[in-house]
Amino acid sequence: MIKLNINGKQVDLDVDADTPLLWALRDDAGLTGTKFGCGMGLCGACTVLLDGQVMRSCVLKIGDVGTKAITTIEGLSKDSSHPVQKAWIAENVPQCGYCQSGQILAAVALLKQKPNPTDDDIDAAMTNICRCGTYNRMRAAIHRVAKESAS
Amino acid sequence: MNRTSQPATAPLSRREFLTSAVAIGGGLALSFSLPAQEGGPPRPAGPPAAPRQPSGFLQIAANGAITIITPAVEMGQGGHTGMPMIIMEELGGDWKQLVVKDAAAAPLYNNPLFGQQSTVGSFSVRGWYTELRRIGAAGREMLVAAAAKEWGVSPAECTAANSVITHKPSGRTKTYGSVAAVAATMPIPQNPALKANSEFKVIGTSPARNDVAPKVDGSAKYGIDMVLPGMLVGAIKGAPTVTGTLKSFDDSAARGMKGFHSTVALPNGVIVLANTYWQAKSALDKVKVEFDPGKLGGIDSAKVSALLHAGFDEQGAVVRNEGDADKALAGAARVVEATYEVPYLAHACMEPMNCTVRANGDTAEVWVGTQSPQAVQAAAAQVLGLAKERVTVHMQYLGGGFGRRGESDYATQAAMAAKASGRPVKLVWSREEDIQHDFYRPAAAIRFRGGLDASGKLTAMEARVVTSAAPSFGGPPNAGFYTSSVGDMAYEIPNLKVTGINKDIGVRFGFWRSVNQSHNPFMLEGFLDEVAAATKQDGYQFRRSLLQNPKAKRQLAVLDMLAEKSGWSKRQAGHFYGISAFGAYGSYIGSVVDVSLKDKTIVLNRVVTVIDCGVAVHPANIVAQLEGGMVYGLSAALRGEITLKDGAVQQSNFHNYPVVMMAQMPKTECYIMPSTEAPGGVGEPGTAPIAPSLASAIFAATASRIRSLPLSKHNVTVVAAARV
Repeated sequence: MIKLNINGKQVDLDVDADTPLLWALRDDAGLTGTKFGCGMGLCGACTVLLDGQVMRSCVLKIGDVGTKAITTIEGLSKDSSHPVQKAWIAENVPQCGYCQSGQILAAVALLKQKPNPTDDDIDAAMTNICRCGTYNRMRAAIHRVAKESAS
Repeated sequence: MNRTSQPATAPLSRREFLTSAVAIGGGLALSFSLPAQEGGPPRPAGPPAAPRQPSGFLQIAANGAITIITPAVEMGQGGHTGMPMIIMEELGGDWKQLVVKDAAAAPLYNNPLFGQQSTVGSFSVRGWYTELRRIGAAGREMLVAAAAKEWGVSPAECTAANSVITHKPSGRTKTYGSVAAVAATMPIPQNPALKANSEFKVIGTSPARNDVAPKVDGSAKYGIDMVLPGMLVGAIKGAPTVTGTLKSFDDSAARGMKGFHSTVALPNGVIVLANTYWQAKSALDKVKVEFDPGKLGGIDSAKVSALLHAGFDEQGAVVRNEGDADKALAGAARVVEATYEVPYLAHACMEPMNCTVRANGDTAEVWVGTQSPQAVQAAAAQVLGLAKERVTVHMQYLGGGFGRRGESDYATQAAMAAKASGRPVKLVWSREEDIQHDFYRPAAAIRFRGGLDASGKLTAMEARVVTSAAPSFGGPPNAGFYTSSVGDMAYEIPNLKVTGINKDIGVRFGFWRSVNQSHNPFMLEGFLDEVAAATKQDGYQFRRSLLQNPKAKRQLAVLDMLAEKSGWSKRQAGHFYGISAFGAYGSYIGSVVDVSLKDKTIVLNRVVTVIDCGVAVHPANIVAQLEGGMVYGLSAALRGEITLKDGAVQQSNFHNYPVVMMAQMPKTECYIMPSTEAPGGVGEPGTAPIAPSLASAIFAATASRIRSLPLSKHNVTVVAAARV
């Protein structure tokens, strides 16, 4: 049994310690909002937050998570009321949507660190792949959060 | 929902498109089948088959809920929003009461344009536009007739909007829900009155997409998210070579592993089944597999290129022959020649291929995100020995399609694993499998020869278009298809000969966003740019001079709008522009790319795109498709290539099949030409202009001509301009 703190809840999972967090979340904890994209930490579809920091869960073994608080897309808010989710809705960001859980969490981490990020900050922090090409709307949504939180 | 079917109330005949109206839970439901279309595939004689489900396309419940069953799947292109908009426009329904559902796999949903139930080829709005409007209009007329009957007034005295029918003289109103059951008993109008474009209230607006909410909270269900009681999860290893087959495997080292269930042999690979994906993947890594490399065990990219080039001298099929190009070229004052070439490409949908199958004895169910529900249905049915009607396909969201999910190989494999194990199986491909076992965008090449007269006028052109899509793209050999944008070019050249040569190389190929037009415009526009440069003409003005025939007016208008919006004639110092424009998928499209040079690096300042797609159903979504198509095309242009060595694909994941990310995303401007023409496609056309426009801009900046892709092969580095 491995104990994990997922979205504010203690969860016991009967999974080998070398299982990537991604698959423990998806197949064992039933949280399928976190997506499998590449398995090598390249695309970011599997992004979760670990104590608020961006983490690519497909290359993190659950034995290495320890007591850190895991936040998945399901734990960001109960009703899509997180400012980043609201901005994503306002800008109609998603297309196929598959990468968007990871994109949203990457934006949450960025905005926590830099509440008013520059475009360079966005370029540096938003390194998840979107094959549909929603990048400009994501950028607009991040700026929207910054603007609305400042006003 | 409690469904009570009643017999259709209108006599049925083959030419009638609305074939049933049924009371459904106290409401109205409309179905229809299509009359034979001119130019479409032949249809069997006799009455149309009864709709496979009573729900059809439109249901209005007593509580006012409007359920629209969309024949286009949702893969990010907006099918779940655009298709309902078309029905809602004519229905006059309240958008807030809309519920969208995917169509089941059934011939009822075959696209009127090409007779298959596939969300491909930018065909959805084009194929369904008129039919969906007629369904909406028929529904409105039946609802109005029902209200008028209850009031004892003439329907002509009533109007309908926002799900409310109003009797104008008295001001009385009834909601759609309240008359839906009566409406189901009304005769079905066979020629319902359609609105004039000027009366549109929905088409041409940009309502929020219906799939946004579940895609920001993680609740959207893709095929890969499927969970069933007792389900096994499969991980797959396919043959490393493109024609490889399974020789043998030894799974003794995997057998004791936690969660391991079994190993399933496929003709060209193995699937390991376990309780979870990671258990399956871990066990698969322990299975020793031997493959026979097959007939292409020795092929490499140089060989592919040599085969394409050999095609230049083959006879091929002449698809366009005007004047006498051979003679004109022989007598030309000057001949410009160039050869263009592009590699194989993978789709790399964000969601790796996957499929879940449950066999229930004499029926089966499939859960999958697919562009072609009936292809998946047939694939599973064949493996399981069932009639395809016994297989239900449960449509899930698609994590990208781009043509890859029009194939059904993964459904065949999942069905084989379900059959072998006797358990429900979810098969999940790794990214490596996805990149290495794709249906690749064909490698292709064109050899051009252009003849100039003494004054420098382009009087002759020969294009020999060679592709690697033989025997064919899923149908009879069609040189018109794979030469598209060249064979059907709008440019007027008095002596013009276009020949298509299709090579059977043996590497698996398929449809890839905009397919042939993902490369043919790069080649043709590049060559025209060369002719313009050779005769010291401005690229925009040169193209204009070839588009003076009235038949070319829409392409000319796009070109002119591009010049205007980009400030073509007002370039700032240090800015270099490239341009291209052409017809694609029933639309006309083009772009201007604005670059600067920073040392030897190309700085991509902005991309200006113009499309004439006829009536623009959802302008914001069209812009999203243009930007998204541009990103897809830019990824390919910059670094996209699938190469072969010793019969195997060399790329495996995003580190060696890199795609555009946020930092490489240029500034974009997209403009939609106002139009009342019939809708054209928007999903595919946007992919095509970036490569030719960028290559044209690079030539303007550096005088080096790019005749093959990707740019990384030419040591050209492109970065997006810093945003200020």
